[in-house]
Amino acid sequence: MRLKKPVRKIIMIFAILALIPLAIIFMVRMVPQPPQEKVKLARIALSEATSNKADTYSKNLYREAKALYDSAMINWQKENERFIYFRDFQKVEGFAEQAARKAEQASKTSRNNVTDLDTFLRGKIDKLNNIAGLIDKRYSSYPLSPEVWTRISKGRMLLKEAEVAFKKGDFAQAKIRIADSELLLTESFDWANAHLKDYFSSYPDWKKWADKTIRESRQNQSYSILIDKYSRKCLVYLGGVKKYEYHVELGKNWVGDKRMKGDGATPEGMYKVVRKYGPGRTKYHKALLIDYPNATDKAEFKQEIARGTLPGTARIGSLIEIHGDGGRGIDWTEGCVALTNSEMDVVYKIAKEGTPVTIVGSMVSLDQLPD
Amino acid sequence: MKNKVLMGLAVIAMVAVLTSCGKKPQAEIDAATAAIEAAKTAEAAVYVPAEFAAVQDSLNAALAAITEKESKLFKNFKGETAKLANVITLANTVTANAATKKEEVKAEAANLMTAIKAVIEENGKLIPKLPRGKEGAAVIEQIKADAATVDASVVEAQGLYDKGSFMDALNKIKAAKEKADGLNAEVKEVLTKARIKF
Repeated sequence: MRLKKPVRKIIMIFAILALIPLAIIFMVRMVPQPPQEKVKLARIALSEATSNKADTYSKNLYREAKALYDSAMINWQKENERFIYFRDFQKVEGFAEQAARKAEQASKTSRNNVTDLDTFLRGKIDKLNNIAGLIDKRYSSYPLSPEVWTRISKGRMLLKEAEVAFKKGDFAQAKIRIADSELLLTESFDWANAHLKDYFSSYPDWKKWADKTIRESRQNQSYSILIDKYSRKCLVYLGGVKKYEYHVELGKNWVGDKRMKGDGATPEGMYKVVRKYGPGRTKYHKALLIDYPNATDKAEFKQEIARGTLPGTARIGSLIEIHGDGGRGIDWTEGCVALTNSEMDVVYKIAKEGTPVTIVGSMVSLDQLPD
Repeated sequence: MKNKVLMGLAVIAMVAVLTSCGKKPQAEIDAATAAIEAAKTAEAAVYVPAEFAAVQDSLNAALAAITEKESKLFKNFKGETAKLANVITLANTVTANAATKKEEVKAEAANLMTAIKAVIEENGKLIPKLPRGKEGAAVIEQIKADAATVDASVVEAQGLYDKGSFMDALNKIKAAKEKADGLNAEVKEVLTKARIKF
């Protein structure tokens, strides 16, 4: 049975109308889809990497991730320029996946590096503050050269700058400052330690003199005075037992034995009180003059002149005393030993002409020094 | 036959209209990029780094959304244009915040610079009062070395300040100020112990 023409026409129109959306859906479905989710994930991962400071603490991975993301975007834009059905987003997808992976790695590495750096820098700051503290403790009154003090001072300033940067979370700057500070502080500390070690090479002699002085005090049941230069102590013994202990101030250049007049050093050796000066006879309250230079000092001075280690014009020092007017907090004498006036009163009272006065670098060895 | 041809043309025309109804908002992209550049020039990365990173993120997201739209058969950039407008507003805020922060840092550095100069001046007056004849004493050498280091640091900080590197100048001057204050306390302690009036 054949349909009538108008009916056929209506069916045809309906069929076409139904086919149009189908064709549109088909056309849309056939369009290759870009990997927008993957690109989005890569972008988020990159953004997280930035907030994790991967651009600073995982530079290479971050750079790679960024380059891969840029490649994904450039390729996507290139594909967009092609006819809609001829686009191929495989490369874009590949770059985006790689970018996300690298960015995640960069984030992780950066977080780890930041944690490690935090621990590392904290440790270094503590270590350098400890060295600075030891320098203060061991060498604040040790006559290091102005050059060494300048290096120590610069090292301390850099350490301060490193601490400021560290507190702000700027670990990269802190690390640079720490490296510079460490070089200056450790080198200066090592140099000072070597200098001190060299000074302490005389320790066996010092020990011998100190032991002999205490032994004689015990044997003679008399007073002996011991001066420990390093610990800045004046120890008064009676019958071999320590009776008094006072803080002393020394020559401004106290490290080492006195070699010549005007060197600012306090001599080391076994001496005796040769004269007592009461009030009005000395400008330093009261004083005990010792027999420096003794025969040993004179012989050493002559040898140095002969060897040429001292200039021919050099003169041997003299007038070394234990006197008052101390308590100033610094080493200020020309080689004498200064006590406070009240302490000097005690020492002056117990001392008489002939009282032994032994001056040593230290009564304890270098490794026994308190840190 | 004539009807069929007309129908076909209508479909093609419809597709053509739908696929070309949106144009890439290039002007807005350029404006947003310029706004970010302005923020960069205002040193937003130094003074407001988190805000700057956020606005850069927003631009990247907007650009990715535009590329995504460009892949589509039917394009409409209305949403992306709005996003770009938002980026521009955000970038302008970041630029303004960076300028404000920079001024704050500049003022703080300038204040510290004035304060440290006063401490240095006082130290300069106090150091010569340290016990006479003790120029070789270790403590004096230390104080002198510290004073010279502080002076050098202030000169460096001033150089950074003059160059406009206010953040670097501030970091340097902060450390120098701590040191100068410490030195001042140390000198006063020595003078007090030595019973010298200051």
